[in-house]
Amino acid sequence: MADWRGERKARDARLEAGRALARGKVVPSGEATALLEAILRPGDRVCLEGDNQKQADCLARALCRCDPERVHGLHMVQSGIVLPEHLDVFETGIAERLDYSYSGPQGARVARMLYGGQIKLGAVHTYLELFARYFIDLTPHVALIAGVCADREGNLYTGPNTEDTPTIVEATHFKNGVVVAQVNEIVDRVPRVDIPGDRVDFVVEADTPFFVEPLFTRDPALMTETQILIAMMAIKGIYAEYGVRRLNHGIGFGTAAIELLLPTYGEKLGLKGEIATHFALNPHPTLIPAIESGWVKQVHCFGSEVGMDRYIRERPDVFFTGADGSLRSNRALCQTAGLYACDMFIGATLQIDLMGHSSTVTQSRVAGFGGAPNMGSDPHGRRHPSDAWMKAGREAQITGDPALMRGRKLVVQLVETFGDKLVPTFVERLDAMELASKIGLELAPVMIYADDVTHIVTEEGIANLLLCRDADDREQAIRGVAGYTEIGRGRDRAKVEELRARGIIRRPEDLGIEPLDADRSLLAARSIKDLVHWSGGLYEPPAKFRNW
Amino acid sequence: MAGPSAGPDRDRLSWYEASARQRLDALLDPGSFTEALGPEERRMSPHLPLFDLPRAFDDGIVVGTGTLDGRPVYVAAQEGRFMGGAFGEVHGGKLVGLLRAAVEGRPAAVLLLLDTGGVRLQEANAGETAIAEAMRAITEVRAAGVPVVGLIGGRAGCFGGGGLIAGTCSRLAVSEGGRISVSGPEVIETNKGAEEFDSKDRALVWRTMGGKHRRLIGGADAFCDDTIASFRAAALSLIADAPAFDLDTLMAEQARLRERIERFGECRDGTEIWARLGVNDPDAVPSLDTRAFDETVARIGEAAHDAR
Repeated sequence: MADWRGERKARDARLEAGRALARGKVVPSGEATALLEAILRPGDRVCLEGDNQKQADCLARALCRCDPERVHGLHMVQSGIVLPEHLDVFETGIAERLDYSYSGPQGARVARMLYGGQIKLGAVHTYLELFARYFIDLTPHVALIAGVCADREGNLYTGPNTEDTPTIVEATHFKNGVVVAQVNEIVDRVPRVDIPGDRVDFVVEADTPFFVEPLFTRDPALMTETQILIAMMAIKGIYAEYGVRRLNHGIGFGTAAIELLLPTYGEKLGLKGEIATHFALNPHPTLIPAIESGWVKQVHCFGSEVGMDRYIRERPDVFFTGADGSLRSNRALCQTAGLYACDMFIGATLQIDLMGHSSTVTQSRVAGFGGAPNMGSDPHGRRHPSDAWMKAGREAQITGDPALMRGRKLVVQLVETFGDKLVPTFVERLDAMELASKIGLELAPVMIYADDVTHIVTEEGIANLLLCRDADDREQAIRGVAGYTEIGRGRDRAKVEELRARGIIRRPEDLGIEPLDADRSLLAARSIKDLVHWSGGLYEPPAKFRNW
Repeated sequence: MAGPSAGPDRDRLSWYEASARQRLDALLDPGSFTEALGPEERRMSPHLPLFDLPRAFDDGIVVGTGTLDGRPVYVAAQEGRFMGGAFGEVHGGKLVGLLRAAVEGRPAAVLLLLDTGGVRLQEANAGETAIAEAMRAITEVRAAGVPVVGLIGGRAGCFGGGGLIAGTCSRLAVSEGGRISVSGPEVIETNKGAEEFDSKDRALVWRTMGGKHRRLIGGADAFCDDTIASFRAAALSLIADAPAFDLDTLMAEQARLRERIERFGECRDGTEIWARLGVNDPDAVPSLDTRAFDETVARIGEAAHDAR
């Protein structure tokens, strides 16, 4: 007879072993390692919550301290490789296999460890893709998650950085897994229940509050006139042109400049209410002036941002908040919103090739993708029209019955022709391809594929790839905005002028923009302190961003 | 000829945001500025090309003469956006030359718009020499009865040798964004460790080197809004109120420095110093606006002192 309850029994045995160390569900932080040794089995799939922002760091340290004789060969399935501990476990043999999405700060070490064979890599996913696999073939046996506080029944308040937690718990708990939550404190009553207690098996009171970094704060004081010029072109040549209301912004200075130009330059163009009203976006501090001047109607967030809590609490008409008043974010749902409910993704990248493929991977770093490939892709499952989507679709339509035409998502790359340290953004061949062959990846880590990109904006102009009709159009359109890079200097001048006549390339002067007008005085806020003023003192920037 | 009428930009223009030339244009009486060794003469650094570094036609400093409320002044303005306003051979030479000319020319004041990280590493010897020469020249200008007023509120702050030069001036005006120190935050952290001083904690940096702190302990004599108009007003009042440059002043300065170390030597943070100075709510100081801050300064009294 088949045993249909094998997993359930195994789960009960884990719980039994863990309970020996717990009072009710509560385990003191000093016993966290013993708890993990009790509930983990060699080869388990483990999600050690490493989100874009909040980190189950206490549990990560506890996992590192486990005896590799007892706990080894784990298969880590988590979206973020952020803390050093996330990789330390691979050096001791506690972990062996890895499936993940994003590894910003640890990107160089990931590359070294892949190359050295210490990590057996499954794949580098997008967030949605990894979350999806949690429910199909990468379901965690054990999830180690983080929250602000819990009560003794395990009811969990995640705080504004809810992020990945509901998705992880859903997959783990409902498929016979064990959920361990670290919290900053145990309370009698949580402000709101983000995860019901019956889905949380153990609660560890952490020795220190979980680590969270302000990832989305861009200091307006550092914004350059080039970025302002690019932002002006994007607003006039794309936002206004397509009437983009629903969108997602990247996290770079380019899009931050756009946010700060809406109440000034956008206002002057009479675009208020016509563009940028609904966002799938983290609560960027640089969005404050646009919110305060009534541009932004609604924002759904992947996660929160350090220092924005009080401001968000006072703006419930704009943000999603719980009965307790604090932000409720959700990465999986916001990614879905960005994919299906937004007409545009606009963000930066490190490299673009002659076809328009782009990547943030360099030869020595595997940074992963996060959400950009989902946001920055044309969802073929979309079935609702909008003016922006339909207009893009018409521009791309080459053949076929117009009655069967569908729209296109606008996917815009906003780049300076030369990036940090004057490294050219435009290249013949992406570093991602070198890296893929070096460490034996089956799939080159391309962030956004060329066929998804619709526009490239640089300080030299806008290239509209939707209007390109063949590979030559496309290559010259890209060369035509690539400035003084090798790629840019390799342009066919006559062809580029032809593309300009066809409206495929548009220079600032074609858009009626005088580059000398791109001045910092156009920014609605020119410093972090200005943002604090805009927020009426509600935004509380972390110390690293203050100059007072 | 030049009246008190403010240029259209003076009230609006942010000192922090403005370039050295914009600051001078808006600070002085309109149209009164005459530049010496301007960019058209292309007196550039002979050293930077050895390092394959770009040069500036004015080597990052603008010097010349003009009028302030109708009275003649000599001015030097560092461009913090070129090599962090750092001193090199030509840069320093222009400043020293201006100061020496002031001994002869006897203007109503010399204004130094300092915006500098200190000495340029690529021409360190020349830069260090220039700092020493500038300090000496400032004392000669002051001894000749001409006040030297430093105006500090730029992006680069006023560090290294710039901090020493500031210490030699008759009076200093600073804005909230301005920083004055000799060793910068990163230098301290590199030498003493992040436990001693975390240079990434920018709020801490401003609590220990920022404009408000310098004003509270009397290290600066006026606190300005971040507008050119505010710096202009401060410059005018500081010129009128410059201390004598004599043995008494120097002795008093020395005594005050000694006392400062005794009183505050073991404080770990600006807030502790402010508490000892008698500020009621030290933690609130960083968020005070200019008016509330000036009231606080007036209350504790000792910020105003001829011996800075």
